Amino acid sequence: MTTLRAASSLVLAGAVLAGCAQDDGAGVAERVSPTQAGPQGRVPQFVVECRFSHAGPDDPIVHFGHHGRSHLHTFFGSTVTGASTTAADLAAGDTTCEQKLDRAAYWAPALFEGGRMVAPTGAAAYYRPGVGVDPGSVEPYPFGLKVIGGDQAASRPQSIDTVAWSCGTGSERHTTPPACPEGRPLRLLVSFPDCWDGRHLDSDDHVGHMARSAGGACPESHPVAVPQLLLSIGYPITGAGHDLSLASGSLLTAHADFFNGWDEHKLATEVSSCIHQDVICGVVSSRP
Amino acid sequence: MPPTRRLFAVLLAGSLALAACGGDDDDGGSAEGEGDSGDGGTINVPDDHDTIQAAVDAAEPGDLILIQPGTYEESVSVTTDELTIRGADRNEVVLDGGFELDNGIRVTGAGGVAIENMTARNYTKNGFFWTGVEGYRASYLTTYRTGDYGIYAFDSVEGLIEHTYTSGSPDAGVYIGQCYPCDAVIDDVVSEHNGLGYSGTNSGGNLLIVNSTFRFNRSGIVPNSGSYELCYPERETTIVGNLVYSNNQADSPAIDVALLVMGTGIVPAGGVGNVIERNRIYDHDLNGIALLPFPEEDANDVVPPASDDDQPCSEAKGEPTADPATIPDTVLWNPRDNRVIGNVIEDSGLADIGIGSLVDVSGLGNCFADNDISSTAPTDLEALAPCDGQGSGGDWTAGALDLSKFLAEKPPSGDYKTSPVPDDQENMPDAEDAPARPATDVPRDIDVDAIEVPDRPSDA
Repeated sequence: MTTLRAASSLVLAGAVLAGCAQDDGAGVAERVSPTQAGPQGRVPQFVVECRFSHAGPDDPIVHFGHHGRSHLHTFFGSTVTGASTTAADLAAGDTTCEQKLDRAAYWAPALFEGGRMVAPTGAAAYYRPGVGVDPGSVEPYPFGLKVIGGDQAASRPQSIDTVAWSCGTGSERHTTPPACPEGRPLRLLVSFPDCWDGRHLDSDDHVGHMARSAGGACPESHPVAVPQLLLSIGYPITGAGHDLSLASGSLLTAHADFFNGWDEHKLATEVSSCIHQDVICGVVSSRP
Repeated sequence: MPPTRRLFAVLLAGSLALAACGGDDDDGGSAEGEGDSGDGGTINVPDDHDTIQAAVDAAEPGDLILIQPGTYEESVSVTTDELTIRGADRNEVVLDGGFELDNGIRVTGAGGVAIENMTARNYTKNGFFWTGVEGYRASYLTTYRTGDYGIYAFDSVEGLIEHTYTSGSPDAGVYIGQCYPCDAVIDDVVSEHNGLGYSGTNSGGNLLIVNSTFRFNRSGIVPNSGSYELCYPERETTIVGNLVYSNNQADSPAIDVALLVMGTGIVPAGGVGNVIERNRIYDHDLNGIALLPFPEEDANDVVPPASDDDQPCSEAKGEPTADPATIPDTVLWNPRDNRVIGNVIEDSGLADIGIGSLVDVSGLGNCFADNDISSTAPTDLEALAPCDGQGSGGDWTAGALDLSKFLAEKPPSGDYKTSPVPDDQENMPDAEDAPARPATDVPRDIDVDAIEVPDRPSDA
């Protein structure tokens, strides 16, 4: 394995991001964390890019049937997501995703600056095997599965493998929002559990039916490997000195939700023809 | 899974490759029944199966799938090696995505699949797409109104794209990306009314673009580098004997990068070691040929040293990237060591040949010789940087390329969904009777040295 590459003498000596906490160490050859978005091409994936759809104080996972009970969320993908949305509603609805057969609902707590909601620029959903998980063992999510990534009640920093903040589509990750340079705006990265108990679409606490793989394997309690979703949400924020918070509380409470409304046949095809075949079916491009 | 393991899996013969893919019976298992084949038999659509997908699912390596005229509203997924998928009539066999479906035909990890003699239109992503394969062939294909690319090969090697027509893509009509060496040939294609006629990020190495026409795009041929995909930089694409003209198309669909280079013919953007020879290039508002940088603001790595140029993509994928803390805000990919020889260029608004960057370009090793031209930026470029002998030692700043012209506001992207419908295109010979021809003998040899500067089209 070679050492770090020396920068070409022709590369501009740009500003190093001095003062930003570097929690991820040197760049690596393998993907070692589910929140490492790039560079792409090292593990099989399919990706879906979805525009921001709508915002509302609704949550069909944690506060099903209770409109207005939740903190403010920003929704991507399905255009119909509300407090009482069912999987059938998702399947019958429209989507902001460029993959028209992905009718899943993706959402996260609204980001506030000085108390005012920041409209996200969009989201990208990366679907990959869990770190070290055999791609051939991955199965599609069941229709209607509800999954939460991250902890909305966290009072201490969450693992950088669960929640990370980044700039643009670059590979740096931080536990708190960094000061991002122009042209590489702020991004929130949330990874989701990738092991399912094989029986329940939801659970009383909304997390117990899912688990995270460790060492490339799912626990016996949750034996079904499903794609590990990495949701990346972009915000038009650059520079330092922003007074940021989340609708769920402090920045420590970052989390995101996924309610599977994918067309079942299409999702199964993506898993078998992309993940099982160990290929890249699409990339999120930083090229404008 | 280490990428080299996947490559070895594809190299193994038929059934072994299938076993390595982790699927069970879904790729080529022989089901009994009508319309199933093997040993290079023929499966007919719609006679044997109503849909192309059903035929593909029933097929075994070596089979020919022959599709009769009709409109097929499908997004076909192929995971079986060595299929030949052919339309009986190029213009009458139409895959239509209705702007709902993503790809016309997508081949994932299956080697040797050839697709020929049909049309794909109205797909939100690509007409015909191969990813992660060894051996691919696109012959006598038409694509139009596709949201990303018309014909797209990613992370794939040993390919041939020939006698194709691609139009109405905001990105590029034809794209080959992330391979080195690619061992691929693009021959006798027409690509028009796109953002870019051809684009290729981080591809090259025995990659030939020859005898083809790129016109009425925002820009004609744009090999480029960037670290959002692997195997950077783009290097060693051979671009010879092409007709590249009138790439100033104000109404074509176009991604932002295409808008930036609007009005140019051939542009290696941060490309390395390309051979650009004996092309006929005319009528461009900016440059016939422009060697430009790509300043990457969102980089995952720094520019590798030139000593890594010969590292194959299969190895490069396993290399660590730079510590994010050491990556500059803007990583500058420069055009380096390109050879621009014997091109015939006229009617360029800015200069027939230009080179510029955000840094001094004089030491980048590009050379220019024997071009039939009337202007360069900087002035006297062939004297400054000849391909044989010493440079004149003259002033590289005299008549320098004005990069600000590229930053001027351009007419916005047109809607790809309403881009022009093409005329009927030439059919392959003997579509009904020709045997299966999997993409196992590709690409074919091209005598590049024998290619001459093409004539202007007679209707120009």
